[in-house]
Amino acid sequence: MGLALAAIPALRPPAFVESFLYLVFHWIALATSWTILSGFSGYFSFGHGAFFGAGMYTAATLAVTFGVPFLWTLPAAGVVAALLGVGIGAVVFRVRRLRGELFALLTLAVTFVLATIVLNTRIDGGPGVFLAAVAIPRIFASAASTIYVMGVAVALAAVGAAWIVQGARLGRGLFAIADDEDVAEVLGVPTYRFKLVAFGLSCFLAGVVGGIHAIFVTYVTVAETFSITVPLYVVLMSVLGGARHWLGPAVGATFVTVLTYAFVGGEWAVVGRAVVGLTLIAVILFLPQGLFGLIGRRRPGRSVPAPPAGERTVAAGSGLLSEAATDGSATAQRGPTSRPLVRCEGVRKAFHGVQALAGVDFEIREGEILGLVGPNGSGKSTLVNVISGYYRPDAGRILLDGRDLAHQPGHRIAGLGIARTYQIPRPFPRLTLLDNVTLAGMFGGAALDGGQAEREARRWLDFVGLADRASALPTELNLHQRKFLELARALASGPRLVLLDEVLSGLTPAEIGEALALVREIRRRGATILFIEHIMRAVVDLTDRVVVLNHGQLIAEGRPRDVIRQPEVVAAYLGKAYA
Amino acid sequence: MPSLTLLGQSLVSGLFIGGLYGLLGLGLGLSWGLLRLINLSHFALVLLGAYLTYQLAGTAGMNPFLTPLLIVPGFFLLGVVLQWAFDFFRVNEFSSLLVTFGITVVIESVIQWVWTADFRRLETPYATLSVRAGPLFLPVTEMVMLLVATALSLLTWAWLRFTWVGKGMRASVEDPDIAAAFGVSPRRLALLLSGVGAAYAGVAGTFVALVYTLAPSQIYGWIGVVFAVVILGGLGNPLGPLVAGIGIGISESLTMAVAEPSWAPLVSFTLLILVLVLRPDRI
Amino acid sequence: MLEADGLHVGYGDAPALWDISLTVGDGELVAVVGPNGAGKTTLINAIARLLPIRRGRLRLDGVDVTRATPQEVCQRGVAIIPEGRRLFGGMTVEENLEIGCYRRAARRARSESLDRVYAVFPILRERHRQLAGSLSGGQQQMLAIGRALMARPRLLLVDEPSLGLAPAVVDQVFEVVQAIHRDGVSILLIEQNAAKALEIAGRAYVLEGGRVVSEGRPGELLTQSHIREAYLGGGA
Repeated sequence: MGLALAAIPALRPPAFVESFLYLVFHWIALATSWTILSGFSGYFSFGHGAFFGAGMYTAATLAVTFGVPFLWTLPAAGVVAALLGVGIGAVVFRVRRLRGELFALLTLAVTFVLATIVLNTRIDGGPGVFLAAVAIPRIFASAASTIYVMGVAVALAAVGAAWIVQGARLGRGLFAIADDEDVAEVLGVPTYRFKLVAFGLSCFLAGVVGGIHAIFVTYVTVAETFSITVPLYVVLMSVLGGARHWLGPAVGATFVTVLTYAFVGGEWAVVGRAVVGLTLIAVILFLPQGLFGLIGRRRPGRSVPAPPAGERTVAAGSGLLSEAATDGSATAQRGPTSRPLVRCEGVRKAFHGVQALAGVDFEIREGEILGLVGPNGSGKSTLVNVISGYYRPDAGRILLDGRDLAHQPGHRIAGLGIARTYQIPRPFPRLTLLDNVTLAGMFGGAALDGGQAEREARRWLDFVGLADRASALPTELNLHQRKFLELARALASGPRLVLLDEVLSGLTPAEIGEALALVREIRRRGATILFIEHIMRAVVDLTDRVVVLNHGQLIAEGRPRDVIRQPEVVAAYLGKAYA
Repeated sequence: MPSLTLLGQSLVSGLFIGGLYGLLGLGLGLSWGLLRLINLSHFALVLLGAYLTYQLAGTAGMNPFLTPLLIVPGFFLLGVVLQWAFDFFRVNEFSSLLVTFGITVVIESVIQWVWTADFRRLETPYATLSVRAGPLFLPVTEMVMLLVATALSLLTWAWLRFTWVGKGMRASVEDPDIAAAFGVSPRRLALLLSGVGAAYAGVAGTFVALVYTLAPSQIYGWIGVVFAVVILGGLGNPLGPLVAGIGIGISESLTMAVAEPSWAPLVSFTLLILVLVLRPDRI
Repeated sequence: MLEADGLHVGYGDAPALWDISLTVGDGELVAVVGPNGAGKTTLINAIARLLPIRRGRLRLDGVDVTRATPQEVCQRGVAIIPEGRRLFGGMTVEENLEIGCYRRAARRARSESLDRVYAVFPILRERHRQLAGSLSGGQQQMLAIGRALMARPRLLLVDEPSLGLAPAVVDQVFEVVQAIHRDGVSILLIEQNAAKALEIAGRAYVLEGGRVVSEGRPGELLTQSHIREAYLGGGA
């Protein structure tokens, strides 16, 4: 395919055909490079013009002022743009709130700042930069052919890069970030690093595209380069085609370029633009996933084949599976021990002056099911968020094997073998059940490769009785199934400690029975469980020990039947009169 | 170092352009802050209003200051219809940016179809009218623009602050369910607010036609700086855009006076970046 | 005044309700108690028409409001003191109270109602220009009560008024609720703190796992084991 496209110049087409085709590939490359960060991770950048422009001016300056041979300026163009992007990302990606439209605005502002600097320094200085005197390498018959082939090459490189990224760990992580960044981090995705890498790659490609475009237009001006139309069109093309698919932007770019340039001249160009605008409106309203959203929800052509039938474990009524599915961490214990797995020492956390955790000390022992109970607002969820790394405690230590987790990022805590579920399930809404669970296996403590993780994921879906829904989306499930999906996702990471945050709330009595059986089975396989629950009957039935929180402090600890008789505990729940 | 007169004149022109920024930011900030919709098409509506003023005043011979009488009611309806559609299709904050970009492109095409891409200039007797204040010249149309921007900002502020509708609107932004439980109809108020925002675009359009040379691409010319104005002024605060607009306008024109004119955007956008990175909770 | 007949409510990820029937008579104070996650707040929100009702009937003064909008329920004289207070934090204390009397029938009595609320909670008058978000927890709860009173309700829905408050403040809040009741307002009080709620209620329902498991006079319920079981399980 690439060869065929590169061979077009051999047919000696008229020059305008070549430059039209160049423009198509130019936009394909630019839109695809944008998608690698913005489409995949949901961080929509409106600053793609800045990186494109940085590449353009790097190439122009090196070629014109310093006489560097043109081909050598292209890698430099890419590197400069990538450094710029990574530099911005290193600051911006640390600010939790700078997502969505705020990130879009920020990158847009960066474009204008860069434009002003370029315009007022010797890089441009105002009049623009002429590249007419720059020698175009004669790789092919004519200069136009050479530029065209360079355009094809960079477009293929960009589409290829997007294809590789989408299938790789990086892509999996980025898609998870797009759906729910906090959950991705807690599942073990190094979100900060992944965003930086994707931004760097995206900007590098944009920079190279810019470098090539400099020689195509031969006259580089600030107004044209850093205009708002570049980012707007790139976003438009990607969203039209489908920003969550490696080939989507290419389709969108081809469509838009053909529409805007094919009707050259006069009134028809206007009609072309209007059609582009109307298409965008229609796509956002009716096809938010773009044209590629129409085509299946599996990653086309790249799915790992399902394990052969013999290898698959058959759910036997209750949905439990054979021993074969247990992983390495599950070999040791089958019941409570006295060895502490996690110790919390003096953990404190306050919000706006309200003490949610006021110095909590307790330990979770290896192999036990420890109940964590307490009335509403007593600090249970805050404690889970602190242990899993979503919040940093104000003071205190959380020790796992003697190692302090208190200031580790969430993904590292996940890597050490701590997994959690959410009281209100938070599956990645645009990933299939299988992809949801596979992700946990790839990034959590287990750190499996894609194929292995997918096989494990099928087993865990089987374990919770959702095997036949593997290719469904979480939105198609009811609450009880979503709770079980949460469980499967937590288990697929091969955790040593599972934090179960109110898995039972909202379930019917029959479903509760099912869930309790699952929790027991998880422990039997060797994991330690912190079981946070309001339904006291279940806590008494299930747990080995219980700790009680009230107003951010531990008020009782011991065997469940003893604890719920203690007057302080009764008073905390039912009011003083009952104590 | 430039002369004092030049500095004074820059201050004045910064003040006036600040009035335009404030006027443009008022409607954008209302829908963003109170409806959580980022309405890019606001800028297209402004230009559409400007071209309509050009048509009514230039070709049909109407007094340009009377054109809002025709434009504003029409734009109000347009705003209501847009909001109804956004509500119907459940457009959220992020997709609003893309949908309204689509609308912008469509309006731009319509403008280009009707008035072509050539520059248009509304010739009126007011264009050259100016008052002398000591060594300074004060252009009349721009002075009126600043006055109107100030008046509308204050009126909007008072409307939100003191009327039942205004209070209901602010309550619906914070917690639509509880507001509804006390009898407020968040959806109906949103239609009203969107209409008002579009009407402000119409008013701004009239002044754009009076002060500037028109071209369809001018839609994109103010997007960056007006976003900066809206965010710096604080979303949903009707006085914010005017204050921030004047601040940015003056800092731009002073930059122009002491350095090259082309350095002007650096100030506003650097400020915007700093606010976004350091105080993202303000938004 | 209020009749719920076989309500089924379920939405998203909140606890669902199955086949709930309850009544609140004119001038009655009815409590619904139950552990967390039993569906108490879901019930209040369904009655205020903030959540869709899947099956069953809801009547106010005999008029069917199963499919009514929240505004219509409000116009019929129902006001809510929501769980977690849900004040308009960016608005002043007085503006919050004014939203309380947004409904037409209550608007006319604005200044009279304000005086009444300020008489009950003098601290609110002192702070009437302060932003609601800057009040302490107890003061916020008073403001939430005041806001509901401004609506001149005939039926007041009170959701977990003791949540997150110090014991002394809880006592004060319950006294105010009782005083409102004495003024002739019907009250549906939802509360996790069963002891406290049963002290002041005329009748009560016990909610567990989205179902009504018991109902009766507080005295009867206190002697039964239902409540203790609902909260602490059979082992207690």
